[in-house]
Amino acid sequence: MFENVAIIGVGQSAYTRRPEPGQSVLTFMRDATMAVLKDAELSAGDVNGMAVASFSLAPDAAVDLAWKLGLSLSWLSQDTNGGCSAMSMLGNALRAVETGAAEVVLILGGDATGLAGYAKVAANFNTVTQKHLAPLGHGGPNGVYALVASRQMKKYGLEKSDYGHIAVAQREWAAKNPFAVYRTPMTMAEYLAAPLVADPLSRYDCVPVVAGAQAIVVARPDRAPKGRPKVRVRAHRASYNYDNQEGDGLATGISTFADQLWREAGASPQDIDVASIYDDYPTMVLAQANDLGLVDGHDLARFCRVTIGERRFPINTWGGMLSAGQPGGHAGGMNGISEAVLQLQQRAGPRQVKGARLAVATGYGMTMYRYGGTAAAAVLERVE
Amino acid sequence: MISGVTIWRCSNCGAGFFPEPLLCRRCRAGAFTIDRVHEAVVEEVSVIHHMLGQENWQPRRIASVRTTDGQRITVGLRDQSEPGTRIELFEDVGAPFGEGKK
Repeated sequence: MFENVAIIGVGQSAYTRRPEPGQSVLTFMRDATMAVLKDAELSAGDVNGMAVASFSLAPDAAVDLAWKLGLSLSWLSQDTNGGCSAMSMLGNALRAVETGAAEVVLILGGDATGLAGYAKVAANFNTVTQKHLAPLGHGGPNGVYALVASRQMKKYGLEKSDYGHIAVAQREWAAKNPFAVYRTPMTMAEYLAAPLVADPLSRYDCVPVVAGAQAIVVARPDRAPKGRPKVRVRAHRASYNYDNQEGDGLATGISTFADQLWREAGASPQDIDVASIYDDYPTMVLAQANDLGLVDGHDLARFCRVTIGERRFPINTWGGMLSAGQPGGHAGGMNGISEAVLQLQQRAGPRQVKGARLAVATGYGMTMYRYGGTAAAAVLERVE
Repeated sequence: MISGVTIWRCSNCGAGFFPEPLLCRRCRAGAFTIDRVHEAVVEEVSVIHHMLGQENWQPRRIASVRTTDGQRITVGLRDQSEPGTRIELFEDVGAPFGEGKK
């Protein structure tokens, strides 16, 4: 339990499929910073810690960003864990504030690679990808997770439409999120008719690349805006390279710590009111939900058809990255944390889940070879 | 094209790895010899229909396969092999490919 630290602000830039001339990862990060400081009722001078993650910040590094934002810091971190970066940075920031290394930490994630730039990132993700995957024309992460999805369908008896329940439900939520890139409601028929990208994945199974940035502020609870419920992190756990890529990818690193996470949170999966599950692909939503214990009897098909299909449990209520867009995995993961905070503070507007008091959020990423190798999760609660 | 795919075999315990490790995950030794594995069984297949940033993309097939030495690797498929098919492995420009045994 993190007693003396809270998430006290959330903010984001606009998201766009195609950045305009003059827009860059730096301008998106500036916009997210301004938004989060306004939300937290702080000035830039209050910030003395920063964590940042981005595929497109280079050749700048975290300290260059601090310079450009005019932030003089006692704690600084740059994270490279992809879709798990937001959750990793959250964990590091919580511990930094608890130990007194910093008092107010700005956590930033964002990217503006553009579509062509993202293709380069995907082909050069690590040396193994450069040497052993890209020469095959493997299709980047889409190809990797197509193979994982095939395994999952075979193991759990899933049909293509099962993934569609996730995509369609999240699009419904996205319609209520003004920041989401895709807000037009989608039917199951439209989902099933979409062109194939990498069998069995079709267009709406693949997270759309966007440009944008997302930010949160972590600080001592007494720095929170007055009159607003505080959001505390009851438990946070992470896992890196949990199986040396020797498994099937259908369990994530979350499987290594889920029991400990719930024990430390003093809660069970059944207590959760709203969940933000990192959704680069519906396949991985299911894998993480299963690892967390959110899926009764590990029956993924029933989870899709009933729990999601009949809207019995709210997951990714901002639309998820599948509809809101993925500004790199870094900011994409932070969007899930931000949404959990807004839901717990009853600030989610038309997508508010009534009475939400306890949330779980995850991060998952870094497709090292056959699947992702980084994962983390947190249980968040509203404190009056 | 070179017959077989390179694997790295621990000089101490003999465990084989792909891709190349720095330390053996079985015995933690740090020296490896290069070996080759020539056959595998196809486990999953995908056809890549679309590639981000590519115009005039021609669909191609990839597969997750299990080699006869036990490694699970991703290969380009040069034929219509389906899951369960035994394939021959080869390298082209340093990357692993396979096609059904003739």
